[in-house]
Amino acid sequence: MSYQAKGLQAWFLQRVSAVFMACYIIFFIWFFLNTEQMTYPIWLNWFSHPLMNIATGLFLVQLVIHAWVGMRDIVLDYIPNDAVRLITLTCIGFFLIASSLEMIRILFSLSFNV
Amino acid sequence: MRSINHQKTRPKNLNLLSVKFPMSAIMSVGHRAAGVLLFLSLPYFIYIFQLSLTNDAGFLQAKGELQSPAVKIFCLISIWALAHHFIAGIRYFLLDIDIGIEKKWAQKSALFVTVLGSVIFVISFILFYL
Repeated sequence: MSYQAKGLQAWFLQRVSAVFMACYIIFFIWFFLNTEQMTYPIWLNWFSHPLMNIATGLFLVQLVIHAWVGMRDIVLDYIPNDAVRLITLTCIGFFLIASSLEMIRILFSLSFNV
Repeated sequence: MRSINHQKTRPKNLNLLSVKFPMSAIMSVGHRAAGVLLFLSLPYFIYIFQLSLTNDAGFLQAKGELQSPAVKIFCLISIWALAHHFIAGIRYFLLDIDIGIEKKWAQKSALFVTVLGSVIFVISFILFYL
């Protein structure tokens, strides 16, 4: 993608990730409200199902993209100093990578239950 | 960093009190604030998620922790943040396809988003404490 289209790319990613996450959240709430008593076996089985496990992994990827674009926009708007801006963006990046690694570890620790 | 001197050429207006805040601006600030809040709440919810999936005792511990007074307030704020961010996001989508782009309707939809977000907050509050 050319430099001129970078903004459009971010704009597009923000929307695509938003749609995916909205669907996931609606499904999550729907399932949660449809379970009379949430117990550990139901909860574990749910996230051990291959589709739900992978969907949650995808949700994580979309979340990282969405959060990065959003936080970057805010930083670019409110932090004019180049050095402070770079440090803040680096911290946000590390924060998101660390969170992702932990989430990936949790999702991978569950064995598929078909 | 594309240009070094953008700090000199860009117009700035740092006195926020000199700016008028219509409904759409209040909603937009809420959208951003909610986004940052959700971003910052990420580690805690990952921790709860991790705890809830370890074993039976962990699940109950996670459940208990979510019901502690301090976490309850935190969850309530997070629910508001998610609700406001979600509904405001839908409004932006509609604006992208030119629905409600007129000034009058944009202000009305902004008010609607803010009110609906608050209503969800109040409903959660009632469900949490009554």
